Amino acid sequence: MKNLLIDTACHDRIVAVLEDDQILAFKQELNDHTLSSRMVPMIQETLEEAKIEPSNIDTIYIVTGPGSFTGIRVGVTIAKTYAWTLSKKIVPLSELELLATTPFVGDYIIPYIDARRDYGYTGIYDHTGKVIMKDSHISRENLLKTIPENKKVVFVSNDEIDVPYDVLKPQIDISEMVRRHKMDPGVNPHECNPNYLKMTEAEENLLKHDHD
Amino acid sequence: MKHTYILAIESSCDETSVAIIKDGREEIATVVLSQMDTHACFGGVVPEVASRMHIENITMVLEECLKKANMTMEEMDAIAITYGPGLIGSLLIGLEAAKTLAYLYQKPLVPVHHIAGHIYANNLVKPLEFPLIALVVSGGHTDIIYMKEDYSFERLGGTLDDAVGEAYDKVARVLGLSYPGGPVVDKLASEGEDTYSLPLPLDDDSYNFSFSGIKSAVINLVHNEKQRGNEINTANLACSFQNRVVEILTKKTMRALKEYGVKHLIIAGGVAANKGLRTCFKDLCEENDVELIVPAMKYCTDNAAMIGAAGYFAYKLGRRATLDLNSKANDDLK
Repeated sequence: MKNLLIDTACHDRIVAVLEDDQILAFKQELNDHTLSSRMVPMIQETLEEAKIEPSNIDTIYIVTGPGSFTGIRVGVTIAKTYAWTLSKKIVPLSELELLATTPFVGDYIIPYIDARRDYGYTGIYDHTGKVIMKDSHISRENLLKTIPENKKVVFVSNDEIDVPYDVLKPQIDISEMVRRHKMDPGVNPHECNPNYLKMTEAEENLLKHDHD
Repeated sequence: MKHTYILAIESSCDETSVAIIKDGREEIATVVLSQMDTHACFGGVVPEVASRMHIENITMVLEECLKKANMTMEEMDAIAITYGPGLIGSLLIGLEAAKTLAYLYQKPLVPVHHIAGHIYANNLVKPLEFPLIALVVSGGHTDIIYMKEDYSFERLGGTLDDAVGEAYDKVARVLGLSYPGGPVVDKLASEGEDTYSLPLPLDDDSYNFSFSGIKSAVINLVHNEKQRGNEINTANLACSFQNRVVEILTKKTMRALKEYGVKHLIIAGGVAANKGLRTCFKDLCEENDVELIVPAMKYCTDNAAMIGAAGYFAYKLGRRATLDLNSKANDDLK
């Protein structure tokens, strides 16, 4: 099975082409303001390097968030359009679970994406990708309260964060991620949408207003 | 003769739209999904909400358009895309979808300026005749454009601050009317009388406009009357506001027609639906022997059919974009 993995949610943008879980071609760039210009060409370059026609891909693995709203939308728009028009299987993935494939020593790993104002997008995972705390948008204070006391825990993050634990730099394992999710049934491309984990400010204000 | 089919995508503000246009003239299918009802809850377009809705709908709108046309992607000659101006987050959704399709089907990608689309909407009704003057009036734009031939655009002037539709929305809000304000103010104006004294906006020798002054004048007037405990006659204020706006738009446009010796006038964009504006232009154009072309209502608001019509001419001129095309919030019409 030929797989295409796309991740535009976070610090780096990533495109990988795999035969089952073996990486044939891989590109990683800093996810800067050139994202929109680079993303389709990056997919083209990676497929060419892997010597695979775009029509021969079987499954598209797309990171749907959480992370940068605009970043996620660029990747997800490309992936859902690709999957819809060529009738490909599409499997949504979590950016936090992907970060949590970083090798670590201990019981749990906590991927963390800074969401400003002392909030973060975060979850708690074990070595196998089992979810201990589901992906959430929560304050650092509440996160620290949630961490089980009797477990050895490490963080993984691209951001400078102030926590009383070791913070690893991400070394994601794409093969492991594809292995874990190869049996996922996939979703209807029309319904493959970003997982922001956060309402827009306008919606929050509207809700607040309704409650008052 | 071989026909040319353009698949066009437009997502610059709060409408997700896809169309298939034949030879720049004939609308094979158009699908427009408007988010207006959602944004009405917020009293105006919220960019992040708009982006979120575009991505949820883009592939469904594409599918529905192809189904409606009973055509396939393979049959398209090119893909036309609004690259700007507009809301960056909104533009990006249409743009990424267009680039993905252009790549997967190896089709030429044709970049279209949103305002070129508004002007070429009229080509779907009747072929444009040159030279012409186009007045583009909407929630995001107020421009006077001179065209001596197909796809040649000379911008004579435009707004220096608020777009005319934006001024309508803000005036509607201060009068406690619903969003979008344009149609409501227009209707009220027809029921009122011109009794309030408001300044004529930027009445100079240029072809530029400024609507922030008259907008502030309305806001101050409402505020002062409230403080004095006086009732505002909403219909009369709407009428006074609309008359000043229509007066300056017609005055500068008619002067441009005279100066450039042009006999064809196109009014395009959402505010072209304004009855007060249409009536005034109709009378003036009859008096001055100018042919007035106003698009059907469905072509006034944002739609992809107009992008397909403009895209056809851009395609024939050999305009192409590569897959690294980026969206632009602001860009000159060229």
